[in-house]
Order: sequence, then C-alpha cells, then structure tokens
Amino acid sequence: MKKICLINGSLRGKEASSLVFLNSINGMLPDTEFNKDIINVRARVKESYPEDTLKTISRADAIIMVFPLFTYGIPGALMRLLEDYCMYVKGHTYDKAVMVYLVVNCGFPRPEIMVELIRVIKNFCRRLSLDWRFGICMGGGPVAAMTMKVALLNMKYKRAFSAIVADIRTGDIGQKEDYFIKPLIPEPIMLWIKAQYEKKMKAGAASK
Amino acid sequence: MNTILILDKDAETGLSEDLKERILRMLKEKAHRIEVVELRRNDVTPCFGCLLCLTKHVGICVTRDKIAEIRNHSNRYDMTIFLTPVVFGHFGSTIKCAIDRGCGCQNLQVMIGYGDDIDDEERSTFIDLTRKHRGAADVVHPGFDKQVDVYLTTSSEDNDAICEAFKKYF
Repeated sequence: MKKICLINGSLRGKEASSLVFLNSINGMLPDTEFNKDIINVRARVKESYPEDTLKTISRADAIIMVFPLFTYGIPGALMRLLEDYCMYVKGHTYDKAVMVYLVVNCGFPRPEIMVELIRVIKNFCRRLSLDWRFGICMGGGPVAAMTMKVALLNMKYKRAFSAIVADIRTGDIGQKEDYFIKPLIPEPIMLWIKAQYEKKMKAGAASK
Repeated sequence: MNTILILDKDAETGLSEDLKERILRMLKEKAHRIEVVELRRNDVTPCFGCLLCLTKHVGICVTRDKIAEIRNHSNRYDMTIFLTPVVFGHFGSTIKCAIDRGCGCQNLQVMIGYGDDIDDEERSTFIDLTRKHRGAADVVHPGFDKQVDVYLTTSSEDNDAICEAFKKYF
C-alpha cells in the first residue's frame, strides 16, 4: 500500500478553507488502497517538530501539502515544518523518490499570484531530491471552499484533485502542468464584496 | 528617520552580522534612530489568518507576543528592515512569521536575504517574491505598503553593493 502524507498548513482549524480541500482529497484516497497520515502544522513548536512527525513525512511515497497563501509565500508555520524536515533529512538517508504535490488557495481571485510559491516548493524538492509533480492553485479561497460542497459547480476542483490521485496511482514519471483555478464568481464582483466587507468591519471597529 | 531592523538570531552568519553592523553604522552616522530586534524561532508565533487585524481590530494583532509588540506599533517607524536567511528561495520561518503578522511599516520595507549556498533559481525566486508582488506590484492589498525593496547577499561584495544602494534611503 502506498503511504500518503497530507500536510495541513493552515492554523485556522475548522474554519480553514484548506481543510475543506484536504478532506476532499483525503476522501478520494481509499483506505483500502492507501495508508494515509495527516499532519497539522503547529503554532508553537519547542525546539523542533517531533521526530515521529518528521519520520512520517520521510516514509511517505507521496506528500500533499495543502495550505493558504501568506504574503505571496508559504505560511510561517509551514515554513517551520519544512525547515525542521530539511534538518531531519540531512541526518537520515532514504532511497525513494517521494512525489510532492501542492494545493494552495488564496482569497484573491487570481490564482496566478501563486506562481512564485510553486517555485519555492520546487526549490524545496530539488534541495531534498524529492520528485516535484505539480501544484493546484485556487483563487477565491472561501468561495472555492463553498463551491466544493455543490455538485457540478465543484467539477474543476474535483478534476484537479483526481489528477493527484491518478498520478500517485500510476507513479507517472512525466511532470504535469500546474492547475490554476479561478473562482466561479467573476473577479469584479468578488472585489466589490471584499471592499464592502472591509468597509463594514472597519466602520464597526471605529464605532466602538 | 526611525528604523527597525528585525533579524533571525538563530540563523546569524558572518555575512549577516557584517551587513547588519555596516547598516547600523550607516544609519547612526546619519543620526537616524535605529532599533534592533533579534527574534529566535521559539519566540515567534505564526499568523493564524484570523484577519481581525484587517477587520475588527484594525492594526492590532490579537496574539500577544514579541512580534505583536512590533506589529502594533509598526507605523512609528519610517523603515523596517527584515534580515533573513534564504531558505529554498524563501524567507526563513522566523522572519516569515514576522512578515505575515504585519511587522513591516507601511512607508518602506527592505527585505534582505542572505546565505552561503543559494543557487540561481533560489536567488531569482527570493527576489521575485517581493519584486513581482509587493509594494507597487501588490494586487491583493493595493496601496497598503508604499514601497518594498529587496536585496540578496552571498558575499562581502554583495554587502558592499547593498550598503551603496542604502544611501538612497537617507
């Protein structure tokens, strides 16, 4: 059975859009076929992530990182895990090409703003001799998360997530294209909604 | 000019220390006020992404720690300098936590990356992360940060060039 390590890089707990995507991918990986571990990043880490956590990552045949975009890059909490993993791997050897996938979302409607983030993960893979496969970048995070729950509307996301599952199954050695998925709601409307929400919140804060 | 320099204490190298001392010297010679904050990885709490600092408690981070002390008064500074190791072409986790939590002042932020072993793609990635997306290029929060500059050093020659470039800020 292939071992899959799903890394949840969000600290928002049950509110996280990333959790919706992670659960969707998890649901597409049958327990009868895959041995799965889910690792959640932590807000507080004393010295280093536990060796068990790092060992779990190192034993995976595939790593799927699911997280939100933070300041156009990796959230600090996830970066900490990647650094600790890098240190751990330096002291240990492993001889398999671990496949790495990225599923990243941001509130902004344009998914192409995540291109540099993909480059960072590619650099991470190159440094650790991991097999970078492809990324799925999704704009309009909360809208995308809500869309996941609606059949037919969620097809683009399901198709992309299915590509991860198919790639893991086949162990395809050819790298695939990254996915850039825009939200269903047009950008001007999304930006208008964002502006109204921020205006309302700031007005509420100012009146207190 | 009031400046705050935020660095990663755990990831100090000879190169970063040399650059830090040179920048401090330059600023002091020009009679600028400078505060240095040395963060350790166990001191920092990452951003939770609650967005309360942008909505309900504008400008205030609800997590109370060393980073919040900087963040909640970030606009008392004219310039924020982040001095970070470059890891996979990205900011080190300690400094990234500070950036994510909004420690940079809105007037001018200077990102300086350093490392002894940075390949060309990592160099390019680190530069592009800021140049293509921050400051005037920021499409997510346009106008939020007026100016965000980025530099990278891998040698004392690079340090010379950065110090030369810093003169434009005085």
